[in-house]
Amino acid sequence: MAHLAQLGALADDLVAAVTAIPESQRGRRNALREIVLRSLRGHTFIRTNQFEVEDRLNGLEERFSVVGRDGLAEALRARRDALESCRNQFTPEILHLLLELADQPAQNSKLSD
Amino acid sequence: MPPNDRAEKQAAAQQAVDILHEIATILNCHLDRRTLSICISMIENGISPEALANVIKELRKQGQQAQLDSATATAAAATRRR
Repeated sequence: MAHLAQLGALADDLVAAVTAIPESQRGRRNALREIVLRSLRGHTFIRTNQFEVEDRLNGLEERFSVVGRDGLAEALRARRDALESCRNQFTPEILHLLLELADQPAQNSKLSD
Repeated sequence: MPPNDRAEKQAAAQQAVDILHEIATILNCHLDRRTLSICISMIENGISPEALANVIKELRKQGQQAQLDSATATAAAATRRR
């Protein structure tokens, strides 16, 4: 029960953070919160394969270098190395999420960001 | 847990979020620090990253739609006032 309540609160925070729908449109936010909870509860996805995640990140580093974005490749390698010291059992899954949300980084990422 | 241990764990978690946020920026994920922290908490609560990514993409669409609706309503109200 506590888990469900916590998940509900997190879903609420996620809707607010991603959509930026103001508190005054509470009805719209609540409707989206329910959609989020339904989608997350009803998922049938397989578990993250940490080796596949590593392969995809290695592939991205290589791709950055191939398209002449060596700075990006080095930045990604440095962050992955730094992450090793504070890794936990959820790190592969979080990196999996980032890979799913990546938006053409070889073309659009800016090192200045 | 002794206060020192708790502080150390908190500092390590904070550092991990900082690094993950930098990786998110390198990958052009369009995630701010707050949203990333919420996502991490959800994953730590057993949510699948793939399901979460799909939900975030859908929420982005809904957020854009809400902004469009809001702009349309503002424009309609301005027209009525004239």
